Amino acid sequence: MARKLFVILAALSLVASACASTPPGSTQATATAAASEAPVKGGTAIVAIWQEPTTLAAHYANQTVTDIVNNGVLEGLAETTTDGQYVPNLAKSVPSVGNGGAVVKGTKLDVTWELKPGIKWSDGTPLTSADIKYTWEIWMKDPKVNNRTGFSEIESIDTPNELTAVVHYKSIYAPYPLNFSSLMPKHLLEKEADISKTDYVRRPLGTGPYKVTEFKPGDSITLEKNPNYRGAPDKPYLDKIIFRSVPTSEVALAQVKAGEVHAMWNVTESQTPELEKESSLVIQAVPGPSVERMELNTAINRENTDPNSVHPVLGDIEVRKALLYATPKQQLIDKLLFGKGKPGTSPVSQGWAAYREPQEGYDPAKANATLDRAGWVKGSDGIRSKGGARASLTLATTSGNQLRERVQQVLIDEYKSIGIEVKIQNQPSAVILSGSCAAKDPRKLGTFDMLIYASSPGIDPHSTIFPRYHSKNIPTQADCSGQNYTRFKDPIADKAIEEAGATLDQDKRKTAYATAMKQLNAAYVIIWLYDRQDIDVRNAKLSGWQANTWQRVTWNVEDWFLKK
Amino acid sequence: MGRYVIRRLLQALPLLFAISVVSFAILKFTPGGPLAAYEGNPDFTEADRLRLENAFGLDQPLPVQYANWIGAFIRLDWGYSFASHQPVLGLIGERLPNTLYLMGTVFLVVLLIAIPIGVLTASKQYSVFDHVITGTTFAFLSTPTFWLGLLLIILFGLQLRWLPLGGMATPGADFDLADRAKHLVLPVMTLALVQVGGHVRYLRASMLETIGQDYMRTARAKGLSERVLTMRHAFKNAAIPLVTIVALDLPELFVGALVTEQIFGWPGMGRLFWDAATRSDYPVLQGILAVSSGLIILANLVADVLYGYLDPRIRYS
Repeated sequence: MARKLFVILAALSLVASACASTPPGSTQATATAAASEAPVKGGTAIVAIWQEPTTLAAHYANQTVTDIVNNGVLEGLAETTTDGQYVPNLAKSVPSVGNGGAVVKGTKLDVTWELKPGIKWSDGTPLTSADIKYTWEIWMKDPKVNNRTGFSEIESIDTPNELTAVVHYKSIYAPYPLNFSSLMPKHLLEKEADISKTDYVRRPLGTGPYKVTEFKPGDSITLEKNPNYRGAPDKPYLDKIIFRSVPTSEVALAQVKAGEVHAMWNVTESQTPELEKESSLVIQAVPGPSVERMELNTAINRENTDPNSVHPVLGDIEVRKALLYATPKQQLIDKLLFGKGKPGTSPVSQGWAAYREPQEGYDPAKANATLDRAGWVKGSDGIRSKGGARASLTLATTSGNQLRERVQQVLIDEYKSIGIEVKIQNQPSAVILSGSCAAKDPRKLGTFDMLIYASSPGIDPHSTIFPRYHSKNIPTQADCSGQNYTRFKDPIADKAIEEAGATLDQDKRKTAYATAMKQLNAAYVIIWLYDRQDIDVRNAKLSGWQANTWQRVTWNVEDWFLKK
Repeated sequence: MGRYVIRRLLQALPLLFAISVVSFAILKFTPGGPLAAYEGNPDFTEADRLRLENAFGLDQPLPVQYANWIGAFIRLDWGYSFASHQPVLGLIGERLPNTLYLMGTVFLVVLLIAIPIGVLTASKQYSVFDHVITGTTFAFLSTPTFWLGLLLIILFGLQLRWLPLGGMATPGADFDLADRAKHLVLPVMTLALVQVGGHVRYLRASMLETIGQDYMRTARAKGLSERVLTMRHAFKNAAIPLVTIVALDLPELFVGALVTEQIFGWPGMGRLFWDAATRSDYPVLQGILAVSSGLIILANLVADVLYGYLDPRIRYS
């Protein structure tokens, strides 16, 4: 039903766009720097969001859209610039080995944070180092928190004075700069037995440029200027920002075109051609860290597969090579993504650890030759086989995702032309991306041949590379937690990943991750289809936006303004 | 009559119980589950899953989960949403006024249009007017709301730009009656156009049946005017089936319009249910399902009782 509805909505929005008569060939700005004109103070900006935050409490939230709203309200000790560097936010500086703020003690790590003086919560109470400690305590104590990444690595926190907190990590936790990305107010919450039952979940108290003044579920969330903001009275420029909840991205698109809202969060690549026709709109496409990939299962396709078993077809590296050669990445990007994307190269496409050595290009003749050489012989039906194994594979992805389904159609044709038969085996994302053995995630169980999905690494790549490509993280019946779904085993990669995790030296880490990713690509277990972009759209009147790969579009909302 | 009502209410209890068991089971066997939303996050570990399952009571055996829920439900503790952590009764309380506002308007508009048209088409059977109305109402009756709603949005919202595309009011603006009314037009039109058809068909058929009765001929023979004849003698009797139809519509005032609220971004019960369904937010779904099935049973009873009250030939014992 929902899917049908979506298809119809999409079709109708196409009709609508065809009818809307705006002169074509107008501007399309991409990821421009902040506008040069003088900012205007005052006004209300309305942003359409097609998903509604169920809660704004950062420690409970599990939706991307929560960040979109909270960027104006909550702040952390440090944040990330678009080139992947850490910059201080509430802290005076980002502690590092170089400035003495981070000290490695054997296998442990001490990090000393110093707050900027004079910062207040939006209710006027001063921010202190006790709030840092309290944030950690809540994250570890509250049973309903979303996850405890980073916080579970902390042994204790000392607060020698009002502005200083010394965080003692049990391990060398490299992503420590972003561990405290949203602080929680101790004075407000410490007496609450259960924060989930307080007003905080809808009106979190922060130190940011805005505060939440109204939360109307299903309708809108209103942010108004925080009078106690450290940038006041100059910033923020806008008096109010209203996040309007709309049911689907098509409706948001219609509203932004009709001028009912100033901006919308997140459009798909296929929506961009019709937006480019509108001269009043600016499309902002930022290369995101998300990489769409097709993973190939090297073990036998069956439930709780033995990681050491060999897939009768994909177990042969020559077949995996041939599949890569027969994958027309650029064509997929041009035809299906409307040029919004880049051919994928590795799981880490952005930031300081980016590995951009391309995989071999599209060459069906080479694919055929490779298979011929490896002894895969074409049968009368044009499908190859070798030693009784027929080159017939299943290809799975999230059902109902139009773009992925189109990609599948292209790949079926391409692979058929090199003698490999592909059958679609899609399942709802709630199953296929559940990450749970109980929910029968085929990646976890090993019940897939080829599977297409996307994943975004954090700015620190360890949380992607270690669980996904270290051989000890192959999910098994006994321990289902790993994410090494292709069952990739390589001692050189393992060693490099371990080395990278044991130091804070960025150069050494970068080299080690590059070694691991090189080994990964040399095994031909994953075809990196394309690097995705985060695309947002806004009315040209709304200015001050700035691209940031690592943060959501509202990250610099204090700089936004409405031109007269 | 009193004993009849009591008996019917008692009979409803096992039915409600059965409905709650079945809906509980259906929800639990839907793939995904309430923790699916967390799982896209690579930082979400197996330990996190176990902790949350425990916090939400999902680690208990299903019969225990059900017993806990129904036990609390009867004591009016409907639990907390897994997604927003808000009390279910509070969530319903936030949305209910919006849905009553939308569906109440639809309800009135439908009656105001359907009654005169139904009476007129019957009294002018086979006239051009009758044919046009019959054709039009059939067409709308067979139109899915999601399609009609989108079409109206494209026409009045995008093309003509007369009406807003969705929501209950212009965001950020002060309360303004005209603005509220503007936002109400399209969703009400969508729902009313589809519903009017059904009501007109019922009333027309029922009027035609009444007009053909012997007592109508007698009344006409006594020299009563067509007007009095239609209104006092025919309509009054023909309205009886309409009353039951209307009574059966009453639960919709609470449940809202799932698809229409979704299309127009109306912050009502329908959208609450839709969002809860996509998140497998069991406590919210169970709460809404329980209330709506209760209301449907109640509405049936009201219809039966009203029927007996309006038509003295029908007696219950």
